[in-house]
Amino acid sequence: ALDLGRGANPKGYMVDEIWQELAKAKYLLWEHASSKRSWELQSLKEACETALREKHFLDDSQPEGFLDEASISHMKQLEVLRQVFRKAGEADTPGEVPDYLCCKITLDIFRDPVITPSGVTYERAVILDHLEKVGKFDPITREPLDQSQLVPNLAIKEAVQEYLDKHGWAYKVD
Amino acid sequence: MVLGSAAKQAEQLRKDGNLYFKKDRFGAAIDAYTEAITLCPNVPVYWTNRALCHRKRNDWLKVEEDCRRAIQLDHSSVKAHYMLGLALLKKQELDEGVKELQKALDLGRGANPKGYMVDEIWQELAKAKYLLWEHASSKRSWELQSLKEACETALREKHFLDDSQPEGFLDEASISHMKQLEVLRQVFRKAGEADTPGEVPDYLCCKITLDIFRDPVITPSGVTYERAVILDHLEKVGKFDPITREPLDQSQLVPNLAIKEAVQEYLDKHGWAYKVD
Repeated sequence: ALDLGRGANPKGYMVDEIWQELAKAKYLLWEHASSKRSWELQSLKEACETALREKHFLDDSQPEGFLDEASISHMKQLEVLRQVFRKAGEADTPGEVPDYLCCKITLDIFRDPVITPSGVTYERAVILDHLEKVGKFDPITREPLDQSQLVPNLAIKEAVQEYLDKHGWAYKVD
Repeated sequence: MVLGSAAKQAEQLRKDGNLYFKKDRFGAAIDAYTEAITLCPNVPVYWTNRALCHRKRNDWLKVEEDCRRAIQLDHSSVKAHYMLGLALLKKQELDEGVKELQKALDLGRGANPKGYMVDEIWQELAKAKYLLWEHASSKRSWELQSLKEACETALREKHFLDDSQPEGFLDEASISHMKQLEVLRQVFRKAGEADTPGEVPDYLCCKITLDIFRDPVITPSGVTYERAVILDHLEKVGKFDPITREPLDQSQLVPNLAIKEAVQEYLDKHGWAYKVD
């Protein structure tokens, strides 16, 4: 429905409404899958920490409170372990969408990116709106710009889709 | 402009130096350029020409000196930044060397995107970036491998201690333990993913060269190509978009800045992709 709607009227209210529902659904799909993954990761992380601590306790010949090479190495080990689990769960952790995947005007992830002759990429509906209501120039470079000069940035569109497939949290629309 | 007598002499000496250089007589070339420099010390080309001779003789300290002088006289000298970069790499000053090479590349692309120099600079830059990555990533990989083995050992020992069944008996705890080890393997694989050579995403590669973009440009059809390659196509094959076949002129090519940024971020995170075959 979204692709058909965009083809007909990229600025239409229907396109936005369809997008909202699609984004909501994709977000829920992600939320469900990712909580499962996060729980599995958390369980394993705790199991490893426990196993490493117990092993250190058994191996450790020093009296408690004594910081020796083995203890320091053990603490470093737990620190690296934390980093490993953080990295493994990174894709599922909401963060910042890379700049080049966001419109410089809306600051949101692109839905339908188009590029101007100056090389800048904007959200199609937003730049069309700008050309109609503000003036026929590129908002950032101020060079003269007409609607007919807008080119779909297919490569960025593909990049956005791959990013969303991997980072479902980015579907959340505020 | 009328060349003064000193300038005229200096120019003649430069020509002499160039001839010696062509014949691989680097010592004689250096002497000629040195004389030219003595007569007219403010001509950047004399310094970069001499630097090139020093490079041929692997006299890297002198390469650095002459390049720095040339840059003082001309901030945008591609050759000066390039050779300075190489000299710094030789000194193991990798970060500074890479910075100079990057500057040379940007300047070179601005002047002549298809020139031989641009390709040569890119090769050296990619080589240096790859070595930087290789060094950092082997350290990381080793650390990851050590920890993975420590965890596997600790989990196995714990299971052995906790396990009350006779050996060979597959119970719920054993199955759960094996699943645990499997998930552990996945976790460590994921943690080391960025450092693992793989496939660069399609949208970051030129559809013609199949290599990661260096200088991506987009056509009115919305397709993105490597600049040097599409220029070559327009010149030698025909004035049309290779994929959509729509009419296309050089002036219609637009730099795909967003993709360029995407490529840089990808390379910063996946240094193995700098490897040029």
